[in-house]
Amino acid sequence: MMFLALREIRFSKTRYVLIVTIMLLVSFLVLFVTGLANGLGNATSSAVRNMSADRFIVQKDSDDRFARSALHAEQIDQARAVAGAEGAEPLGVQMTTVTKRDSESKIDIALFGVPAGGWLMPETAEGSRLTASETGQVLADRDLAESGVAVGDTIVDGATGLEWTVVGFTENQSYSHMPAVWMNEADWAAYRSELMAARGGEADPAYNAIALRVSDAQAERLNSTLPDAEVITKSQAISAIPGHKAEQSSLLMMIAFLYVISAFVLAVFFYVITIQKTSQFGILKAIGARTRYLAGSVIAQVLVLSFGSLAIGVALVLAMKAMLPASMPFALSAGTVLSSCGLFLAVALIGGLASVVKVARTDALDAIGRAGA
Amino acid sequence: MNTSLTTESKHTSRRSSGASQSGSSVSTGLARPADIKLRLNEVSHAYGDGESELTVLDGLSCTVRAGELVAVVGPSGSGKSTFLSIAGALLTPSRGEAEVGGRNLAGLNPQKLADLRLHEIGFIFQGANLLPYLRVEEQLRFVAKLGHADKRQAVRRAEELLERLGLTSRRRHYPDKLSGGERQRVAVARALMNDPSVILADEPTASLDADRGRDVTRLLAERVKAEGKAGVIVTHDERILPYCDRVLRLEGGRLREG
Repeated sequence: MMFLALREIRFSKTRYVLIVTIMLLVSFLVLFVTGLANGLGNATSSAVRNMSADRFIVQKDSDDRFARSALHAEQIDQARAVAGAEGAEPLGVQMTTVTKRDSESKIDIALFGVPAGGWLMPETAEGSRLTASETGQVLADRDLAESGVAVGDTIVDGATGLEWTVVGFTENQSYSHMPAVWMNEADWAAYRSELMAARGGEADPAYNAIALRVSDAQAERLNSTLPDAEVITKSQAISAIPGHKAEQSSLLMMIAFLYVISAFVLAVFFYVITIQKTSQFGILKAIGARTRYLAGSVIAQVLVLSFGSLAIGVALVLAMKAMLPASMPFALSAGTVLSSCGLFLAVALIGGLASVVKVARTDALDAIGRAGA
Repeated sequence: MNTSLTTESKHTSRRSSGASQSGSSVSTGLARPADIKLRLNEVSHAYGDGESELTVLDGLSCTVRAGELVAVVGPSGSGKSTFLSIAGALLTPSRGEAEVGGRNLAGLNPQKLADLRLHEIGFIFQGANLLPYLRVEEQLRFVAKLGHADKRQAVRRAEELLERLGLTSRRRHYPDKLSGGERQRVAVARALMNDPSVILADEPTASLDADRGRDVTRLLAERVKAEGKAGVIVTHDERILPYCDRVLRLEGGRLREG
């Protein structure tokens, strides 16, 4: 089937180069926007996405948002009673503004208070880990380094005046476009009481949420036993992060449209050239070529063109990725590239279907008694 | 009608010279059943349904033997295309039997019919109808490939055919670089490529001038005789009739010796 497909491409180079160019631009755009969507998704949610929790408990009517949710110490005890001590860990989340000591420039960060040594605490990539006993120490996302903060530096909270020393960096921990900064339970408690004191000293809810590693049955039971709280999944928690859903849905819509466009571009291109070649197909059927062979030739062409444009498109995107500044949120893993390419090929094949139907309907009888070729 | 009859009888009288020119020793009188490559028996065909039925062929019978080139002539609308479509396994007749290369076409499914066309029938169309994007030798190799022929044999067969048809120097050309006559010679070679039993030509000289038309027909007649094919040319072109062994007239849905 490749015999005809390749020779026709060789013969009508211009026509096929043009269609490959269009496909290549579309596939480049698909991959680029996908990378951007992933990158933005990471920037808003990687701190939560990379947690090894599968569900969270939040306050009822908090719209699944950690920042709006407040849980009391006794709710944490109740959760632990059902989920086990290992199955539930308290999680404090607070967005705040800090400055590096002896510096004026403000940095927005997301503070995460979790038990030191627990499974919510991320891996340390550089520097040392947090312990339960040492206070005044934090672990920060490496993005903070771009604001000029290094391991050993001290940052000062703008609201409370508390000072923390950055003892280590983590990778890929950001929340709502802010670098995540992790502290232990003691520091979190101190921070909360300072904060509440600054605001007028009302009763202090200890944490914002409880991270869970539980079975479905346990989650069910937690949902029904805990008063004024509900169990949500990780993806619910992620899509409730401010900005996440809006960014992702608009980018996803662009990606979806690009796929639809590429399907239509291919469909129209192949349908038009198939119509031009109807008499050829009639002749080929008359001399004994089976419909399956001819349809296979059309599909082979679709695949050759799609593979070609995808290969160039992927190469361009990878080159682009290498040239992008590090601050640009762009993430494209090999798996994402492969699945995007797979989807692109599937869409291309759907685009070729109209032509296959046209080929199948061509009658060999048309070959007799006609002068045209 | 009268004029065509007289020209035809003139051609019939010159028939023997055409046959001897191509050096054939096939006698039309002595045919064993195995020599019969194409047989249509009491074939009728009608288009339309019920009330407005148009009968095109009405009890048509004919046999063509190996090494014999037969011309079928007749006014337009006399059913030449229908005849060719039925003989070419493209159309199943309403009634009657068609046999190609000793195989009855009745009851074959579309795939079987396509295979039979591929291996047993060589078509030559009005325009050459070559694939514009294949070089001359690829046109032939493609047909062999469709028939799953051995590649080396196919290359040898293609070379031989191109040489016989005087196309060796043109074998790497695309059809748009060939003259009309050359194109039609490639079409002849393509029809012969898979060594079919029957060659069916549909007005093969319609788009050629007189000399080229005669050339192509002469070469076709030569190959039909040398390779023992049954050849049928449906034509309007009376200048090529001398190269044919028999001329049949399609009239009233039947074939008569001209």
